[in-house]
Amino acid sequence: MSAVDVPRPRELEIVEQSGNQMVVSMGPQHPSTHGVLQVITEIEGEVISRASPEIGYLHTGIEKSAENLFWTQASTVIERMDYLSPLTNALCYYLAVEKLLGIGDRIPPRAQQIRVLMSELHRIASHCVWLGTHGIDVGAISVFFYCFDLRENILDLTEQAGGARMHPNYLRLGGVNGDLPEGYLARLDALIEKFPGRMAELRRLLQKNPIFQDRTIDVGILTIEDALGWGATGPILRACGVAYDVRKAFPYSGFEQYEFDVPTRTEGDAYARFLVRLDEMDQSMRIISQVRKRLDEPGPVMIDDTKIAPPPKETIAVSMEALIHHFKIVSEGVRVPPGDVYVSVEGPRGELGYYVVSNGDNKPWRIRTRPPSMYHTQMLKTMTIGELIADMVVIIGSLDPVFGEVDR
Amino acid sequence: MPSPQTPPIGSTALDPTAARPPLDDAVIERIDPAELRHRLTELRSQGFTVLLDIGGVDYLERAPRFDVVYHLLKLPARVASVSDVGRPERRRLLCGVPADRTTLPSVADLWPCADWAEREVFDLFGITFEGHPDLRRIQMPADWEGHPLRKDYPLRGPARERTPRPAFANKSNVRAGTPPSGRTAEALQRQIAIARGQAPPPGEAT
Repeated sequence: MSAVDVPRPRELEIVEQSGNQMVVSMGPQHPSTHGVLQVITEIEGEVISRASPEIGYLHTGIEKSAENLFWTQASTVIERMDYLSPLTNALCYYLAVEKLLGIGDRIPPRAQQIRVLMSELHRIASHCVWLGTHGIDVGAISVFFYCFDLRENILDLTEQAGGARMHPNYLRLGGVNGDLPEGYLARLDALIEKFPGRMAELRRLLQKNPIFQDRTIDVGILTIEDALGWGATGPILRACGVAYDVRKAFPYSGFEQYEFDVPTRTEGDAYARFLVRLDEMDQSMRIISQVRKRLDEPGPVMIDDTKIAPPPKETIAVSMEALIHHFKIVSEGVRVPPGDVYVSVEGPRGELGYYVVSNGDNKPWRIRTRPPSMYHTQMLKTMTIGELIADMVVIIGSLDPVFGEVDR
Repeated sequence: MPSPQTPPIGSTALDPTAARPPLDDAVIERIDPAELRHRLTELRSQGFTVLLDIGGVDYLERAPRFDVVYHLLKLPARVASVSDVGRPERRRLLCGVPADRTTLPSVADLWPCADWAEREVFDLFGITFEGHPDLRRIQMPADWEGHPLRKDYPLRGPARERTPRPAFANKSNVRAGTPPSGRTAEALQRQIAIARGQAPPPGEAT
């Protein structure tokens, strides 16, 4: 193999090619890269001998922006990171801030139940997008429509609760913004009822499909050592056999009260990741139906502490103190005691973590995200070696990266 | 060229990690850059199989100025059930980096995932990693100047000259020629003067 240098990003140069070798730049504008990923691949015939993923095309400096916003405002930009499950990002961020404030155990149970409900709904919605696009990648286009129909139901539920489809900013410091609206639980019931049938359809479309199996079985195999060394978490690690789930290992928001399994496989290929994610969707729905039973009981959805959460709007007109608190929180924000903390949640892609540093001010000093997708995208360097160029698409799809989170 | 718009910087004396209340999130170690590599190798052999993340923090007025934060996780490197995994141990290493010597040893050979994590710290904080296989910018363009997540990096980017207006958008252009209708301000003045029987103002002959 002659020495063919992989060109540096954004200054593509002409590379001399010899014999069977060829350098193919895939992306950043490519429908199957699920965003703006560029993979510079070196192929010999059809076989990839070297791959160099390049990221940064969607870098928007979210971490820098968040440092210059109030603690409560920062979640607005943080939700934009993983735009397929925005409320999971917000949940993790608020858990970290609440831990710094020392109010983690004072969040009302109903608020925690709604948070669990939202994070699990968004896990299903995110997996729907993954499954639909993964199906398109391997040529099964109709799956996309079924998935997006299901996702649409979930986005409707998000909109009814939070006011927006994609980035509702529904979670707040100390709880959630307002209780679930009237008639919400009936619509949730309808989704719970519809879900098993829809999942059976999705499984019927792909799971036993010989073309799909041919494309995914034994493709992109990852050993446990590689997976751990490259920082894989979530469904990718569980498809290798390590049942590490943050919800079980470091329970948050009352996940220890719900019964659910952590699906694992041992094959570690794209098909195993597919099966693990499908099983995860079922488990998420299992959690949701348990949450649903608890949601019948009314209760407060915001912490009873006017230094952290603004008092209800109707009290402002009658109470001087409420008006002052409201004014202080809106104009100055909340001050968080100095310290640093690392908190993680189980996002749809894996361990989503926030390392938050406060210097006692009303703005965060530093918010560092641990982006699961970034570590997964990096694995393309090893996973694709020796695979066919056509399987690159399948491997990217099976990693399920979201580039808002990779580049931030 | 730095912009006059500097980012707002808190005035509090900065070492939040020292003033930290006890929170049960990880075992924390503070470590010197000289011992970092040795300690991480040790932890790697003690079963910390996952390097979760490497992050940087810029404390600006503190000495040492930067912290590079290593998050480690102890997971079994074999097929493991939920009870096998249990509650894995988390370890956090805070490594202070002085402003005049922003170099750390790379650990990309211990955990391959450190490759991109270190590149990101280099890109956004300007801390270099000795022994890194491919240390170049990852998020910002290759020809970018400065390291955006440093606290003294201007918030709005360099001030630029205003783009000149295209010639066709300049109002003075309207006066360049008399439109076919002759309805310019001067033409109107002249018509008014003629109608009043006064001498028309000097200008081009009509």
